[in-house]
Amino acid sequence: MVKFLKYMRGYLRIKVWGFSPERFMNLCSNREILLWDIEKDGDTYRMSLSLKSFYRLKSIVKKTGTRVAILERYGLPFLLPKLWKRKVFLAGLVFTLFFWMVSSLFIWDIRLVGNYQITQDSFDTFLKEQDIKIGMRKASLDIEKLEKEIRRVFTQVTWTSAKLSGTKLEINIKENDAPISVELPVETSGADLVCQYDGVIVSMIVRSGVPKVKIGDMVKQGDVLVEGSVPVYNEDTTIREYQYVQADADILLEHAMTVRESLPFDYIEKVYTGRTKTKYYLRVGEKKLELPQNSPFLVYDSLIKESCPLVFEKLGIPLSFGSYTYREYQNVECEYTLSQAETILSEKINTFLETLEEKGVQIIEKNVKIDTSDNMWVIDAGLLVRELVGSSVTIEPEADTVSETGEDINE
Amino acid sequence: MRRKKQEPKSFKKELLVDTLKLPSDICLGALRVTLTGNTEAWIENYRGILEYTDKQILLQTKSCKVCFEGSRLSIDYYTNEDMKISGCISQVRYI
Repeated sequence: MVKFLKYMRGYLRIKVWGFSPERFMNLCSNREILLWDIEKDGDTYRMSLSLKSFYRLKSIVKKTGTRVAILERYGLPFLLPKLWKRKVFLAGLVFTLFFWMVSSLFIWDIRLVGNYQITQDSFDTFLKEQDIKIGMRKASLDIEKLEKEIRRVFTQVTWTSAKLSGTKLEINIKENDAPISVELPVETSGADLVCQYDGVIVSMIVRSGVPKVKIGDMVKQGDVLVEGSVPVYNEDTTIREYQYVQADADILLEHAMTVRESLPFDYIEKVYTGRTKTKYYLRVGEKKLELPQNSPFLVYDSLIKESCPLVFEKLGIPLSFGSYTYREYQNVECEYTLSQAETILSEKINTFLETLEEKGVQIIEKNVKIDTSDNMWVIDAGLLVRELVGSSVTIEPEADTVSETGEDINE
Repeated sequence: MRRKKQEPKSFKKELLVDTLKLPSDICLGALRVTLTGNTEAWIENYRGILEYTDKQILLQTKSCKVCFEGSRLSIDYYTNEDMKISGCISQVRYI
C-alpha cells in the first residue's frame, strides 16, 4: 500500500556527494523530508525521496555544500507525460472505458432459475412477446411489470422475482408443487363401462353402476360391462326412473393378444472412413461468426462442441466459441444373421412387454416364434394377459325417452 | 565547576523519572534501539547521523554517541523520529 502511494506520487533515486552528506541527511530529516533506501556507494550516497520533497532540497544543498544528481525517476507523474504522447494507446484506453460504460447500459444475459414444468423454450417465447431480449436497454426494463406478467401468463408460478445484477437479468420463479386441480366437468348424464377386448372376466369389483356381467363370463369388444343408468323401482317393481351415475369398476379381463415385430433382412450401417475436418466458429450473442465452407464430404455427420470461458460467463459477456467436426462415413449395406435378428427382435418384444407390465398388465402366457416373410424377419408373440378393462362411454341423453317409457309404464 | 553543577541536575531528573515510574525514553530523551537478530535495528530518539559508511554508522543522541558496526549497512528509511538500519550488525558501541 505504501509502495503504491509512493508510486502514485512519484519518487526519485538521487546521488549525493560533496562536503558533508551526513549533514545533508540530518537536515532532510529535520525538515521532515523522508529518505529511504540510503546506501553508500564509494564516495557517494544513493537514496530515494519523493518528488515533492526534491524541490525543497535546494537550500539544504547550498547549506551543506553537497551536490545532488538524479539517477532514476519512478512513478506515475513521470509515466503520464510519456503516455500522453502515445495517442493511439490513449484513444484505445478512452474507447475501452467508453465501451464498458455504454455496454453496461444493456442486458447481456437472461437466466431463468427454478423452472421444472415451464420449459426454457416456452419462457423464451414469453420473453420475446414481452419484448425482453438480450441486448435491450436496462432502462426500458420494467421489472415489476415483468413479474406481474410472469404470474399472469404462467398460472403454475406461485412466486417470482426478477433481479438485475450488473448486466445480468436473473429471473427466479417457484412453481406450484401440488398438481393443478383441474375441475372435472360435472356430467349430468352418466357413463357406461364398455369392454375393449374379447375375453373372459377374471375378477370384478364394482363401485358404482349396475354390473351386466359376472366373473367367468365371456365378453366381446363393445359389450357393456357396467351400466351407468341405475333403475329406481316403484313399489310394484316397475321402473319409475333412471338415476345416472359414472359407472366405476375394476374389472380384470383375461384375453389373448398377439404382438408382431418385424425387421428387414438388410440394414445400412455407418462406417466412418476416419477422415475428419474441423471448423471453428465464434458466437457473439445470437450471431455466429464462421468462415464459409462448402460441404466438406459427400456423406458426413457433424459434431458440434461449444464452450464459453468461465470469465465471460461470470461477467455476462455472451461470447463463446465452438467447433464443428465433420466425420465422413460410407453407407454399407449389411444383413442380419439369424442370431442378430433374434436378439434385436426379442429385445423389441421385451421392451413392449415391459411397457405392458408398467401399465399393470399381467402376462400369463407367452409364445414366441421367429419366421421370415417378404425379406423380413418376423417375430410373433402370442400372449395371454390379464388387464383392467372398461372405457367410459357417456350415455346418450335418453332421459326423455326414459321418462317417456317411465310414463308409459305408469300409464 | 560548571560540569560539577550539571551532574547532580541530571541525576535528580533521573531519580524523579525513576520514582514516578515515567518512561525514560520520553522524559529523558534517551536513545531507544530495537534489534531484530543481527540484521535489523530500529532506532528512535536520536539527533542525527555523524558518519555513515557501509562498515559503520555513527549516531548522535542527546547524551552520547552510538556506533553501529558491521558490514553492508544501509539505512532503509530516515526521518526525524526514527530510522531503520539493515545489514549485518556485529556490534553496537556507546562512545
